[in-house]
Parts: sequence; C-alpha cells; structure tokens
Amino acid sequence: MASEDEVSLLVIVVDVNPIWWGQQAQREPEFNLSKCLDAVMVMANSHLVMTRTNKLAIIASHCQESHFLYPNKHWKAGDVAGDEVSSGSGDGKYELLSVANDLVAEEIRNLMARTQVKGHQTDTLLAGSLAKALCYIHRVSKELEAGQDMKSRILVSSWFPFSSAVYFCIIFVQMSMGIFGLIIYYILQVVKAAEDCALQYMNFMNVIFAAQKQNILIDACVLDSDSGLLQQACDITGGLYLKIPQKTALAQYLLWVFLPDADQRSQLVLPPSVHVDYRAACFCHRNLIEIGYVCSVCLSIFCNFSPICTTCETAFKIPLPQMMKPKKKKLKTAN
Amino acid sequence: MAALSEEVLLVVKRVRQRKQDGTLYLMTERIAWGPEGKDRFTVSHLYADIRCQKISPDGKSKIQLQLVLHTGESTTFHFANESTALKDRDAAKDLLQQLLPKFKKKANKQLEEKNKMLQEDPVLFQLYKDLVVSQVISAEEFWASRLKLSSVEHSLSNNSKQEVGISAAFLADIRPQTDGCNGLKYNLTSDIIESIFKTYPAVKQKYAENVPHNLTEKEFWTRFFQSHYFHRDRINTGQQDIFSECAKQDEKGLKSMVVQGVKNPMVDLLSLEDKTLDEGYGSLTVGPNSSKTVKENSNSAIIKRFNHHSAMVLAAGLRKVDAPSDQASETSSTDGNSRDSDFFQPPIKKVKLQEAIEYEDLQNGSGPKTIALNLKKSDRYSHGPVPLQSHHYSTSQDIINSVNCIQEEISCYKPCLTRVMPSSAASSAITALSPGGLLMQAGTQQAVSQLVPTDVQSELKHLYTAAGELLRHFWSCFPVNTPFLEEKVVKMRSNLERFQSTKLRPFQEKIQREYLSTNLTSHLDEMIQAAYNKFHAWQTRRMARKT
Repeated sequence: MASEDEVSLLVIVVDVNPIWWGQQAQREPEFNLSKCLDAVMVMANSHLVMTRTNKLAIIASHCQESHFLYPNKHWKAGDVAGDEVSSGSGDGKYELLSVANDLVAEEIRNLMARTQVKGHQTDTLLAGSLAKALCYIHRVSKELEAGQDMKSRILVSSWFPFSSAVYFCIIFVQMSMGIFGLIIYYILQVVKAAEDCALQYMNFMNVIFAAQKQNILIDACVLDSDSGLLQQACDITGGLYLKIPQKTALAQYLLWVFLPDADQRSQLVLPPSVHVDYRAACFCHRNLIEIGYVCSVCLSIFCNFSPICTTCETAFKIPLPQMMKPKKKKLKTAN
Repeated sequence: MAALSEEVLLVVKRVRQRKQDGTLYLMTERIAWGPEGKDRFTVSHLYADIRCQKISPDGKSKIQLQLVLHTGESTTFHFANESTALKDRDAAKDLLQQLLPKFKKKANKQLEEKNKMLQEDPVLFQLYKDLVVSQVISAEEFWASRLKLSSVEHSLSNNSKQEVGISAAFLADIRPQTDGCNGLKYNLTSDIIESIFKTYPAVKQKYAENVPHNLTEKEFWTRFFQSHYFHRDRINTGQQDIFSECAKQDEKGLKSMVVQGVKNPMVDLLSLEDKTLDEGYGSLTVGPNSSKTVKENSNSAIIKRFNHHSAMVLAAGLRKVDAPSDQASETSSTDGNSRDSDFFQPPIKKVKLQEAIEYEDLQNGSGPKTIALNLKKSDRYSHGPVPLQSHHYSTSQDIINSVNCIQEEISCYKPCLTRVMPSSAASSAITALSPGGLLMQAGTQQAVSQLVPTDVQSELKHLYTAAGELLRHFWSCFPVNTPFLEEKVVKMRSNLERFQSTKLRPFQEKIQREYLSTNLTSHLDEMIQAAYNKFHAWQTRRMARKT
C-alpha cells in the first residue's frame, strides 16, 4: 500500500509511425493503431486507478517528432470542471480518466493530421522520445514536495517488423526520489537503415545508461521480432523484456506483466529474463564475435588480424611463434 | 592415580576445589589435587600445561590460587585452613613460580598462534574440525602449509615498529607532589627517565659515571632535582654539584648552536628583533647596548633554557635509537643541530633557492610528447553490435498510401475501451503467462539453491572445503620425486578414502532420504574419482618400473 509519499509516474512511449502502422493496417486489419491505442489507454487508466498518487505521461513517437499526448502543456488538472462534457461523461467514470482519454485521442488526431510525408524520414525517433521521457521524469521529480518518493518506469512497446516498424512505446514512469523507470516497448528499427541507425544507436545507448544511472526501469514489449538493443536496455536497467505472441491480446499482456511496479514484481511470477547477447560486432563485417582483435590505440574490434588498423592506421607487428632451440641431448655412452 | 615414584615437593591440606575439601600436592612434574579421604587425584595438571598462575588480591577474604592452562581452562584452589591459609598459598605460589619456567614449552607460542588462527577464521576452523578432529588427516599435515605463512608475516611486522617520540613537556609532566611536611615527591617513571637521557646526553653520561658506584639511583635523582641545574635560575651553582658540569656543557652547546645558526637561506633569524610598543603605538626598538636589569637577565636566562630544551628535544627525535655507538660523537657536540648542519651544504642550498624561485605549474607545460589520435573511419564506432541486414524497401507510393490510410483511420479515432480485445485472446494470453505456459518455459529451472534447504547447503559447502583441502594435498604430491612424496601420496589416497566413507557417503544417504532429487554430490565424486584414477595410474607405472 503506497502511502501519500510515494508517487509513481508511468511514461508510455507510443510509436505512431504512420508508415508502419499504415502498412500493418493493410496487412492485418484486426490489429491496427486504434486498437493499439485502446490497449495503451486501458493500461494508462489502470495505472492511474491503482493509487491516487500515480502519475502518467504518454509520448507519441513519430518519424518526424516526439509529441506528448498526455499531459498537455495547456491543460491543467484543475481545468476539468465544466468544459469537457463530451465523451465519456455519463458513464460515471473517474473524471481524470475520461479527461485523459479524450486528451490523448485529440492529440493523436492532431498529430496524424499534420503528418507530412517525407521519403527519407521513415524511422521512428525512438531515442529522442526516450530522451524526452527522461527529461520529463527528471522535471517532475524536481517538482515533488519534500518527503515524496518517486519511482519511474518507461514502457516501450514496439514491434520490429522486417518491413515496417511501428513502435509503440509505453513508458511507465514511477517516480520516486530520483528513481525513474522507463519501460520502453520499442523494437529498434535502427537495425535497419544505415545512417539513422548509427545516430540512433549512440543516442539510444546513452539514454539507456542515463536511465540506469537514474534507476529508471526500461521494460520492453516486443510485438513482432526480437531486438537485441531493447534486450540490452531491459537487462541493463533491470526491466522486463517480453515478446508477445499475440498482438490482439496486447492489453492483457500489458496489464499482467507491466502494470506492477518494480517492488511488486519480486513477489510475482513473471516471465523469466532472456539471455542477452552482449557480443560485440567486428568493425569490418559487423559480425558478432566472441573473440577478436582489438587495436590498442583506437579500440576498434576486428575479427581477423591485420597488420594495419584500418581505423587509426597504426602498424602492428605480426606475432611469430617462439622459436625453441632444440636441446642438445647428451649422448648416452652405450655399454 | 598418583604414581608413587613421583617425588612430592609440597603438600597443602585443607584446600578446596569446586567447593570440595581436599589436599593439594605439588610434584616434580605436575600439580594435583585429590578430595578428602580419597586416594586418587581428580585434578592433575602438568606444569608444562600451565600457562600462568594467578592469586587473589591481598584484601580479599578468600585466599585463592588460580592456574590458567594453555588451552584457556582455569582451575581455582581455595585455601581454607584458617590459620595458615595465606602462608600455604604463598608457599604454593612460590614453588610454582620456580617450577613453571622450567617446563615452559617453546612451542607454546606456536600453539597460541594456531589457536588464534582458528579463532579468527571460521572457515579454517570448520575445515580443522572436519578433517583433523574426525581423524581424516593428522594435525601436522594440516598445519604444515599454514604456519609458515603466518610466521613470516609476524616477523616482518615486529621489525617495523616505530619509535616513540619524546614529549616536549616531559619534565613539566613530572609534577611534584607535596609530601606534607615541606618536602616534594617526584614520581619518575622509566619513560620519563628515558626521555631525560635521550634529550640530555650529558645527564646520561653523569648517570653512567656515578650510578651504581657512587650513588644509588634514588640519590642520583634526588640530587638531580635538587640541583639548580634543574631549577630555573642557574646563577648560583655550587661546586659540589655534579651537575654543574652539565650546566657548563649546555652553555657551550647553546653558544655553538647560535654560532652555527640556521643554514637555510630562506630563513634569516638575525633580522628578528624585539620591538616593543611605544606610546601611541609606535614601535620602539631596544638598542643592543642597553643595560639589562636583573629581572631581564633572569628572563633571558629562562628563554635561553627554553630554547636549549626545545633544541635538545628535537635533536633527540632526530637521533637514531642506536645511541651507544654515537655516544661519543653526540656528547662532543651537544647542540642538537648536528644533523641539520649537514643538510645545508652548498649544493643543497642551491637546490633550496631554486625551489623557492620556480613554480612548476606556472611554467610552460612541457609534458610528455603525445601522438594525436587519427581516426579515419570514426563512424564505425556508432554502429551497434548488430549485423547489417538487408531491409525491405518501401516504395514512395507505398509510403504515401500507408500514411493516407493511417490518417484516415486516426481522424475518426474514438477510444472504445470496452472492446479492447476478445476474451479468447485474453484467456490464451493468460495461459501463456501462467507457470508452465509458453512464455514461462525458461523459468521452471528453479535455482537449485531454492530447492535445497540451507542446512544441507552449508553442509555441502563444508564438504567441498574439506575435499578441496584433501585434494590439494594429494595433487601437490605430483610429480612424485622423493620417497617422502611417495609416502604422502599413499597416505593422501587413504585419507581420501576415509573422507569418502566417513563424510561423503552419510551425506549422500541423508539427502537421498530427504528425497532431494538433484544430485548434489556428483561433482565431488568426480573429483575424488579423478584422484583415484591418477593414483592408480601412478601406482601401475611404478610397479611396471620396478619389475
């Protein structure tokens, strides 16, 4: 039972890359972005209802921007009364929930409406969304009253389709005195394209380490195919990584696995952690290797020995096997 | 039973032990006590076993004697004979005092060390209990490798003890106490005496000359304190005083100190003067030729003595402990600066000046020459550890189509939270997440540590440590070069067998009885089997060589 002093902030990063979701809608019409958003909302509502002091933020991760779906900059919690009489009213729902849902729906509509198609920007800006989430968590933690604890998680849900990736990130942020958890459901598309891969990879790793430093959990919910980077993120920060076999039951998976916070998870029986592949990739072929050669000057990794390091152009001597002088055997005097 | 051939040195009647009356017998090699009326001894200790004896303080009503053994045990005897209790006890104590040193074992120290080691390290203690107490290996083998290490460490630490310095206030600390009738009582401890000797080698010399030929120690010190040498004003020094010479030597030493001066070029003592405040806060320099009043003279005498005392204390700190060899050189130059003067020879003076002028960090940095890192393809670092895959390209038409599709879909998006997913999907998800489900497969391999109770775990750990120890001894015998190693190998093998039968098998049976399915001891068995195989191979080879 959380006391008044414990604040739990959940930041959900939703990847709404229109290209990917559009393609998904054409492939599997029964699970589209709307359904996904519904599941997210269920998760968000559940989180808000668990404890009065729970907080929520939802970030939409688009290929052109990262946008806060909730809370809105112009919306204050006290503005509820009177204005919003539209949807959700009449069913006696907790007002905060109805307002939140409406807000999210409106924001996502606006976001999609202002989407402009640009051919070269097809990847979701996940690292940026995560960074924004971290900053938001940090800001909210500073606004806490004295004596309040905050734990945070980021929930990233995304799938990593080989053709198009829609990244659905749910970030649960439970705020506690400087402890933030980011659960990121996000399958890296960075594996795909070359250039933005590179940039996103570095940023992504930085975000992971920043989250680790801040004790923020990153949980990952993979919808389609496994992502090594997300596995690493979860492993490093202490979150959960899960690949969902059934996309239509997304809400169930979210509620079962990712709704409890870090303290409660130790009491529950949850899917075990996967073995993470931490092998490095060689710089020449980008193969994952276990044993390789490292240049002592620039620390670049190679799978084969080469006399000159191609990155920093340092020359190395080839190690020769040691020549052993054959020992002279004493001639035994024959009897 | 008392051996009748033992010679009894002392018999004390009416000695109680554990509230029982009896008689105490001191023999040539042991001390024994038997209860009243009985013929045999219930308590008997060899003198060799006794570490020390203690007696009850004088004022106590009970007159007791306690024997403390090496093992830590103690036995108390209460002398209950009303008239002669104290005498008896003292007689027994004196006799013991004479006898005990004869029997003191040299190996006591080692035994104490062993005890200490066992007490400090619980793992070692457990190992000792497992192996030696249960007779698997003998105590000597156990300690053979261990004692060497600790003795080396001890000797090293003893040699590097630091010397204790001299407190500058040691003379003042003596603090005479009034005797009641116009006398003063000075308490001199050996520390103070040592400090005096160290600081004033002249006094030490006088001591060596006079004690014990002419004066007793007490007289020497009485004279010392009486002499004006010790007191403030040294103006009236009688000729009878043995310390008058010391005073003269001190004067000489002080003068030479002043003449030598401080050779540090940075310090100029001569420019310091007494400046007193004149009226109106101006300063008035006292001219060097002003005549001094009597009071000023005595003041300057005190100041001189203070300075001399401080200099001597500092010098004593600088001198090494092996004073006897330096005695001659020290007394010849009783000023304390004999060492300092060596330090300021001309080349060192130059270095000092140089140091004072230059500041390292203000100079142009001429650090070690470095080579700049020249990276040609730095973008390699930014790639993640994922192999490049061919990705699916979407045509621009596809992209436009998708975007349009999504925009249409979302423009009429209304959250419908009552129909998020079908119940069948939800229940299948729950099944997959329940223990044994699709997603939970890897977790069923419960950690062995959770299945096995903690006491079994700790016993297993003990077994591992013990087995490790035995195997270490065994494997260290190879290659077998000397007959000693041969014997040891054979012995170790039998030890291993004994260990297996006495410790390992019962443990295995125990866990089988408790239905623990995991095979906890298979690794131990493997290790011991490997040792047996090696032994067997070695033995057959040895037989083959002999025949």
